[in-house]
Amino acid sequence: MLGLLGLPFGVFAPFAVWSGFRSLRRIRAADGELTGETSAALGLAAGLLGVAALIVGTAYWFLAS
Amino acid sequence: MRLVARLVAALLVLGLAAFTYPGALAVSMVVRLTAPPMAASPGPTGDLAWLHVEHPAQARPYIADEQKRMVLLHGAIPAGLIDFWTGTDQSRPNSPPFYPIDPAAYAGGRCPANSPAIRYPPLCRADLNQMAELGFNSVRLPLSWSLLEPERGHFSQTYLDRVAQVVDWARAAGLYVIIDMHQNAYSRYVGPGTGVDLSYLSGAPSWATLTDGFPSRVFLGQRELNPAVFEADSNFWYDRDGIQDEYIATLAFLAKRFRDDSTVAGYSLFNEPWPGWNLPPGFEDLLLFPFYRRVIDAITGIHDGLPCWTGLFMPAPCGYPDLGVHDVRHLVFLDTGLLREVTDFPTHLGLPVSSYLNLVLAVHAYTHIYTFDALAHQKPAQASYPWGGYEQSYSLADREAKALGAALFVAEFGDSPSDDSLIVANQLLEQEKHEIGFAFWTWKENGGKSSWGMFDAARTDVSPMSSSGCLRTARERLLARVYPLASSDPGLSYHYNSDTGSFSLIGHGRAGDSPTVVSIPPEVRGAVAVSGTAVPVTETSPGGSRLLTVTPSGGPFSIAVAAAPLVLLGCG
Repeated sequence: MLGLLGLPFGVFAPFAVWSGFRSLRRIRAADGELTGETSAALGLAAGLLGVAALIVGTAYWFLAS
Repeated sequence: MRLVARLVAALLVLGLAAFTYPGALAVSMVVRLTAPPMAASPGPTGDLAWLHVEHPAQARPYIADEQKRMVLLHGAIPAGLIDFWTGTDQSRPNSPPFYPIDPAAYAGGRCPANSPAIRYPPLCRADLNQMAELGFNSVRLPLSWSLLEPERGHFSQTYLDRVAQVVDWARAAGLYVIIDMHQNAYSRYVGPGTGVDLSYLSGAPSWATLTDGFPSRVFLGQRELNPAVFEADSNFWYDRDGIQDEYIATLAFLAKRFRDDSTVAGYSLFNEPWPGWNLPPGFEDLLLFPFYRRVIDAITGIHDGLPCWTGLFMPAPCGYPDLGVHDVRHLVFLDTGLLREVTDFPTHLGLPVSSYLNLVLAVHAYTHIYTFDALAHQKPAQASYPWGGYEQSYSLADREAKALGAALFVAEFGDSPSDDSLIVANQLLEQEKHEIGFAFWTWKENGGKSSWGMFDAARTDVSPMSSSGCLRTARERLLARVYPLASSDPGLSYHYNSDTGSFSLIGHGRAGDSPTVVSIPPEVRGAVAVSGTAVPVTETSPGGSRLLTVTPSGGPFSIAVAAAPLVLLGCG
């Protein structure tokens, strides 16, 4: 959810990366007892996209303005 | 089954990414690298030179004439063509336009009588002549979508003719016209309710005002803080029922009429855009500026956005089909979101909007009037915000314009007359410092002493009621200014002292540069002195205004007007 929110609202993106990464680690360490790996991976991917957009957008502002 | 679910989820993320910031950013970067469209031939010769935007390396773009001289636009905003509500029963928001929109009613110098029943007087030929006498070289002309397209798909030729009539008057008076698609709190058709004053609302026609049953009720005394306005604006930004497409078609209808007319400097695409339920910066970056890009695509015929559908929500990367106008000569004024007016701070990332070169970022400078401090009822002289004072908005606007690749213009500023010596004086100082033109809100206004017009409100106990009282002394002193109309040196510095009537300009020129032209209004009587230029040429109009033309001989040059008591026109 944070990942999806991070795309239109960049402020959520870093939290999506943190949350997605942490969830993935826990799921993989749980030896099959926890599910939702796909959701966590997609949340992480969306968060990374959001963070990348945030960084490029902010960098553009400082370079071009 | 699991694989299908994963694929669908991945597509959802990719789709959302394409339609939001990552996609918007990608389109903006492509726009930045796209070769700009150029006019295939010079524009038809008119009475006024065509304006465009020059893009110097490493500096903020600026408005320029055909000789590539920086041009400063000074003017006022008459509200006589806006479709404000009038009447006594607010439950009937569909009152007809108060003043005739048929140009015949204004022919031969005729002017309908003013009335206390409406906030603004009619706009007549004499107004344009008065503006020119004050040394203005432009007028921002607000229109209403509700009069341009009163029925869906049916445009009003009569109202367009009325606009053309004002453009003709402006041409005769030597004024550029900035055509402004005006709106205030979306539309008067959001309807009546607690705290709602419909006579302050204008913009969309009834059929394009979709409030979905949200109550019309004003909170905190701010006309935009109204659930019905939030909903109607949001429906516009999301193109519900294709209303945004109709708006774009309306702009194309206007642009087609004035395509070859250099008197029209350009179009202000949407006045004071209110985000509705959307938050900045997403509102500007993902909804407003992409909407601007679509309008530009439609009226210029360039294809900056991606080919998409029309008639329903178009995400940020979407462009718009060519509507056949092919206007690549006029300026396009881009208002920032209304919240910038409250913050004096950028509420967007400044992503490039279009490869079209003639973009002008239009800010509304209402420091201490609509900024946080004013909303907290602080007095301007003791305000605790903006932290950077008046300079905050201007220095940031400089950066915003550079990032967008746009020139900069103050499309609105004004205040209650009692604050002129503080607010208007400081705004003008900032505009000089940043070399930005202005449009003053408003030209004439009915009401009492606190009305915002340049003139005193007209007396209501005489019949027929005139369009105004006398020109307000403080406003004439401040706004009838000496300023450079055009100069080959965009880095020049200048200052007019409205207390003494003195003026100084320092610039740098090369032999062969086009002349610098300085406007001296009739109020200013000081002697002119120049250095570093060929002999200046002074033209004096019958009204007493002077036009000073100086041709640099190479190297630094200066122009000065000596201090002398101002001769104010007032009621003259």
